[in-house]
Amino acid sequence: MNLNDLIEIDELCIRYKVEHTFIRSLSESGLIEVISLEQKEYVHCDKITEFEKMHRLYHDLNINMEGLEAIQHLLNKLKELQKTNLKLQNRLNIYE
Amino acid sequence: MEFIDYYKILELDKSAIQADIKKAYRKLARKYHPDLNPNDKSAQAKFQQINEANEVLSDPEKRKKYDKHGKDWEHAEQFEHAQRQQQQQTRRGFGGGRQQSYSGNFDNDTFSDFFEQMFGGGARSRGTGRSPQYKGQDFNAELQLNLSDVYSSKKHTLTVNRKNIRITIPAGVENGQTIKIKGHGGQGIQGGPNGDLLITFNIVNDTKFKREKENLYTTVEVDFYTALLGGEITVDTFTGKVKLNVKPETQPGTQIKLKGKGFPKYKKEGQFGDLYITYQIKMPTNLTPREQELFKELQKLRS
Repeated sequence: MNLNDLIEIDELCIRYKVEHTFIRSLSESGLIEVISLEQKEYVHCDKITEFEKMHRLYHDLNINMEGLEAIQHLLNKLKELQKTNLKLQNRLNIYE
Repeated sequence: MEFIDYYKILELDKSAIQADIKKAYRKLARKYHPDLNPNDKSAQAKFQQINEANEVLSDPEKRKKYDKHGKDWEHAEQFEHAQRQQQQQTRRGFGGGRQQSYSGNFDNDTFSDFFEQMFGGGARSRGTGRSPQYKGQDFNAELQLNLSDVYSSKKHTLTVNRKNIRITIPAGVENGQTIKIKGHGGQGIQGGPNGDLLITFNIVNDTKFKREKENLYTTVEVDFYTALLGGEITVDTFTGKVKLNVKPETQPGTQIKLKGKGFPKYKKEGQFGDLYITYQIKMPTNLTPREQELFKELQKLRS
């Protein structure tokens, strides 16, 4: 794994003005993957968009950790349904 | 340019107090927030309206101006100017008083022309009260291509925020598919990673073939006699013509498969789907008396 693609959790806490406990809670809920390397913890830069989304929902919309879990679950379902819908729409073109 | 009723957008009446505005805004923001409505452009547009309404109504100065001029907003600037001169007022713009605005990695800074004209571009309290950002903004773009354009991998130059990006679009990309160009979004903030460019393809079919993933479908007309007695026909494939042997007694709606004559498989170089051809039998018309006689004879043989 390329270290340049990893962002230290301490850095995230400073930039987003959040406590370590917030990121730990996200990790424990399976909402974000925390990578441990040589006694330091990181988040992959590809996951920052997801982290920012959780941050917005938590801080801007006052949704608690349980709510985030439920929302993430439903959003994943919605994403799958949107994929299926697109696939079916593309398939429907054959019969039109 | 039309007048925008910010009270209506937030489902409030004009006597609403700040607490009502905050409550209404929160309620609607939870409903239409783009993070909760992925790929829903109408929700995003609604959210922008809600943000704009909140921007005005939660700021006492802006609300005062908005309430004062109402539908005569077009003359507001002239009126304000005259009033300013009269009172030798030196204060400019609007500041403070903003309650809260929800943020997101999306284009929520698009304010209406109405807002811009009434309050000016500098009136937005951009940034205040919003979530801090570190990663640059992801840019979403839609690219319309013809089906014939995506039969082979091609280089395209896109202009994103006045920067030219040269990308290769792999053959076989599908309608509605989104590809991510890492790091070509907005610039990271204070050393943060750049955002990504997300391109969604809108593939317009400019051919007579129908496509489902890597397979192509088409209907070919076969004349009655060839279908009945068999024979050779020439059909179009995506890349040219091929000769086909039609079996005797071919039935209408018969489907044949031409292996490897379909569309390229996405990111599988040299691999192609199949072309499915459905035969449509063309019956003879305007029969001559002699032909009718012969068909009747054939009919008798069958009965």
